[in-house]
Amino acid sequence: MSLRKETVAMIREYARRYPSAQSAIIPALWAVQHEQGYVTAESLAEIATHLELPPSLIESTSSFYSMFLTRPEGRHDVVICVNAPCGLRGADEVLAYCERTLGIRAGQTTQDGAITLRSTPECLGACGGAPMMQVDHRFEENLTSERIDAVFERLRTEPAPHEVVKPKAVAPVKGEKARSGVEGARPRARRTQK
Amino acid sequence: MPQTELLETALEEARAAGYIGRNVLGSGFDVDVLLHRGAGAYICGEETALLTSLEGYRGEPRLKPPFPAVKGLYGKPTVVNNVETLATLPHIVRNGPDWFAAMGTPTGKGTRVWCMSGHVNRPGNYELEMGTPIRELIYEHGGGIWKGRSLKAFQPGGASMMVLLPEHLDVGLDFDAIAKAGSMAGAGAMMVMDETTCIVDVARRLVKFFEHESCGKCTPCREGTYWMANLFDRIEFGEGKPGDPDLLLDMGYNIDGRSFCPLGDASTWFPRSVIKYFRDEFEQHIVEKACPFRGEREAVA
Amino acid sequence: MAVVTDQVTLTVDGQSVTVAKGTLILDAAKKLGIEIPIFCSHPKMEPVAVCRMCLVEVEKMPKLQPACAVYVMDGMVVRTRTEQVQRYQNGVLEFLLANHPLDCPICDKGGECPLQDQTYTYGPGASRYDFPKKHFDKAVPLSDKILLDRERCVLCWRCTRFSAEISGERELALIQRGKDTIIGTFNDQPARSEYQGNWTEICPVGALTSRQYRFISRPWDLDRTATICPGCSMGCNVHADARHNRLGRFQARENLAVDDGWLCDFGRYSFPSFQREGIERPRVRRDGRLEEVSYEEAMAAAAQSLRRAGPATAGWASPAATNEELFLFQRLLREVLATPHLDHGRGRGEAATALEPDDAALPIADLERCDHVLLLGGQAVIDAAPVLHLRLFKSERKGVRVHRVDDARAALEAVPAEAQAVGIVSSLGRKPEVDSLQGKLARKVKGSVRRLLVPDGPNGRGATDLGFGPGRGPGYASLDGKAGRARPDWEAAGVRALYLFEASPLHDFQASGEEREWIQRLETVVLQRPRPSPLDDLAHVILPGRAFVEKAGTVTNMEGRVQRIRPAIDAAVVRDDWKILQGVAQALGADWRYRDPDEVFADLSRAVPAYRADRIGERALWSERA
Ligand code: SF4
Ligand code: SF4
Ligand code: FES
Ligand code: FES
Repeated sequence: MSLRKETVAMIREYARRYPSAQSAIIPALWAVQHEQGYVTAESLAEIATHLELPPSLIESTSSFYSMFLTRPEGRHDVVICVNAPCGLRGADEVLAYCERTLGIRAGQTTQDGAITLRSTPECLGACGGAPMMQVDHRFEENLTSERIDAVFERLRTEPAPHEVVKPKAVAPVKGEKARSGVEGARPRARRTQK
Repeated sequence: MPQTELLETALEEARAAGYIGRNVLGSGFDVDVLLHRGAGAYICGEETALLTSLEGYRGEPRLKPPFPAVKGLYGKPTVVNNVETLATLPHIVRNGPDWFAAMGTPTGKGTRVWCMSGHVNRPGNYELEMGTPIRELIYEHGGGIWKGRSLKAFQPGGASMMVLLPEHLDVGLDFDAIAKAGSMAGAGAMMVMDETTCIVDVARRLVKFFEHESCGKCTPCREGTYWMANLFDRIEFGEGKPGDPDLLLDMGYNIDGRSFCPLGDASTWFPRSVIKYFRDEFEQHIVEKACPFRGEREAVA
Repeated sequence: MAVVTDQVTLTVDGQSVTVAKGTLILDAAKKLGIEIPIFCSHPKMEPVAVCRMCLVEVEKMPKLQPACAVYVMDGMVVRTRTEQVQRYQNGVLEFLLANHPLDCPICDKGGECPLQDQTYTYGPGASRYDFPKKHFDKAVPLSDKILLDRERCVLCWRCTRFSAEISGERELALIQRGKDTIIGTFNDQPARSEYQGNWTEICPVGALTSRQYRFISRPWDLDRTATICPGCSMGCNVHADARHNRLGRFQARENLAVDDGWLCDFGRYSFPSFQREGIERPRVRRDGRLEEVSYEEAMAAAAQSLRRAGPATAGWASPAATNEELFLFQRLLREVLATPHLDHGRGRGEAATALEPDDAALPIADLERCDHVLLLGGQAVIDAAPVLHLRLFKSERKGVRVHRVDDARAALEAVPAEAQAVGIVSSLGRKPEVDSLQGKLARKVKGSVRRLLVPDGPNGRGATDLGFGPGRGPGYASLDGKAGRARPDWEAAGVRALYLFEASPLHDFQASGEEREWIQRLETVVLQRPRPSPLDDLAHVILPGRAFVEKAGTVTNMEGRVQRIRPAIDAAVVRDDWKILQGVAQALGADWRYRDPDEVFADLSRAVPAYRADRIGERALWSERA
């Protein structure tokens, strides 16, 4: 599946935005994941073509960071933080509760394809609201069983985030390159329902 | 991605108001802010790793010297500031440096935001004057230890810092004082542990975090955190061997100060400090072949 | 009085040493004979200090410092063998071995493995790691040449840095992070680099190994011969390693002026083509059938037929023959048979274009000192001498502008007038074009303009220097109007006998269909060659000779460097080519009495004074001709 025209335009724009096309790798990976939900080897190769960089470099970078998914998963991504501060406030039990409720183990996806459940030793940055989980990159804090149930219920019916809002086309850059490289077309912050 | 959205919105507003962009408020001065989103790598908190990441590579730290101020992003002199510094700036600009310096202690001026987590009644972020006693943070602002329990230990500076004990409660929240007590103020994250806490398990989680976040560049950090994580797993789950605490200490010796960057070094500090203060709990795990605290875990509320 | 100097003095393990500013602790220690163990450090790559094997104590620095990445400072006090250092060395080896498979007995690197060696010298006795080891893929085919064992990899980054800094192909990369880090190609696609063999040499463990060499031998069982790669006119220096008289591999034998320590895969993996399968005897065609005879009979038969043709004989020589052989062969043709029809090489007309010594030739290493290099012909030139690419890439990293151009007009445009030192690199076949380009450039730019021409074959340059062509005699001596004809014109010139002398399967005589028909009609075809050839069918006399790797002598590389080759395998009863040539000449009545190739070289020097026995290994200096 090759990338949509808009995504490609965005990647090309990123390449112009930085003094080195390489700096556009991570933004490009985000753009791809945003469009398709994950980043395949095929997409890596496509990014390499658009940025005129060796594909090994794109894979090297993308595989380093923990947020790029490499295969299709459930429509929603639920990550339970099990680092120490969350652990102190029952993260293991939250995870166990989620596993029970969803009928899957961490790392698996529910039968209806709605939810992929994972846990991470990486602090997700909401220790003050522990225990917490990250749902499609949004925080749900101070979890209780009721809260978890409510979140899951919502996710069962909601479409995947990347299917909600299509990436917008970027306006072509006009005139000379902005000195800071920042102006001109920039991808819009994506606004989703809440 | 609410944080990035918020920031993007703020930047758009600032641009619309003419605070950033070309010719800021008619001053003839151009400055712009570009939001570059990372993708999940704690190591990018190390300044050179951050620059490497901005350049599109794997976020691996670089050799220093050259320091970023000499040769940083794209080989150009670069200033790297963290959010904490930037967040303080507007207030200093608005109220003046004297106002800021009047707060705190001679060795730690101004205020700092403490992110308090763990077993307190009111976890969260608190901005306090430097030098405020830790007791005040935990017992007044945090509302004390939850469930009427007592304090076992706390970690004052984030994932890497050494553990401190109730006897250190009157230490002030400032860099020097905390260092004197045997830990570091680090990132300003205060993790509080009550009497039911299994300190071995806390160390285990922290070590697993470092194992997960090690970039893999250097041998001691890549192999050492993996090995330590294995050791902690087996101690916590009742398979520890009598020599394990000493093996952990020795491993700490071979990682700390030997790693390429502070991430590796720092992965050993908390574990070593808890072996120092709580060696008996390690031994209890090993002798009893189980975690003595397991029964007391919190259930989902 | 302060003296400003570029030297700094430091102490390593109590001994004082003075070195240039910008020297690494590692190299300063080496100067004192103090060996600091390393894995990731490589003299041709930027320091990365990732393995942490080389940490040493430096006074006034709280932490141990990587000797491979810290530069010396005046007054520095370094200690490499303190208890702290040794305890840590133990530790880091324990880390590296924790998840290492320890399959040394079946590892191709066994016996020449830095990890193995350093474990003996600096390592712990036993490992305290008692968990199941991490498992990664073993024996992953990275390409048809290389296998990768990810469990053995110690992540020293040498191969990935080679790919980025030495060949510039960026094919190998680090993938994943932390404990899961591995090296590999994009999406595990087969590696396409022409320089993969180098990965196996720089890998400090048995993670990257050659598929060809796999399990052939243990290093200590190998007979090692210092010789030259038969691949091309680059003349890369190699060790030819053999066992039981079979070639096992070629390895780089660093010559900074030539190969810079690298080989290309074409050259490195060419060795199987040289493997002799059984011993052949000379044959003579009688009543249409080839019959085995003695060398004496065969040489006599050859002489008899050649005598009949005399000046209507043409001689074709391999550009892989040695200088000594070529010198004798041209004497046989010119002096004994009185024929002017000499040619060599697979290409057409190469010999005919080289009519004067390449006095202004640009030494290979000087490419790095140009400010502009024109690669006229682009990739085709690289394909003819692949290691040249590594030198050019190195030059580019140093700031040299390398222009890949197809024609002289583009070349002329590419170089600005302020250029200080311009190098033109092209194939010898394009010499006339290069000559004129060089002239035009010399008028256009301020600085010097020099050229490096790439001939075909490992001794194409020697062949032209020694006059193995129709137009010039040895040392480009004029033939006083007695010039012969080049290979394409032999038929027209009325040639009746052909003496073909092959020396390497990589640079055989390549006859077109038309040419084969012509050869078929000839009254005499003498074929001296190292192994069965498609021309055997057409030959009247077959004289088995030796291949490049089986003989002694000298060859001259593209920049005019005369280098020694030595027999890496023993061809036993197969006669040396120079002896065969002498035998044929003697059968034709010549009074030749060379006892070894050195005597031939002495004679050759008299005819070509630029070739001097005391300067073997260096470039022939033509301008010093008396
Ligand atoms: S394969 Fe060899 S050269 Fe490459 S990183 Fe691993 S150990 Fe180093
Ligand atoms: S460049 Fe030529 S001489 Fe060098 S290794 Fe390759 S084939 Fe051999
Ligand atoms: S530990 Fe879970 S968010 Fe920080
Ligand atoms: S050799 Fe110095 S760190 Fe690897």
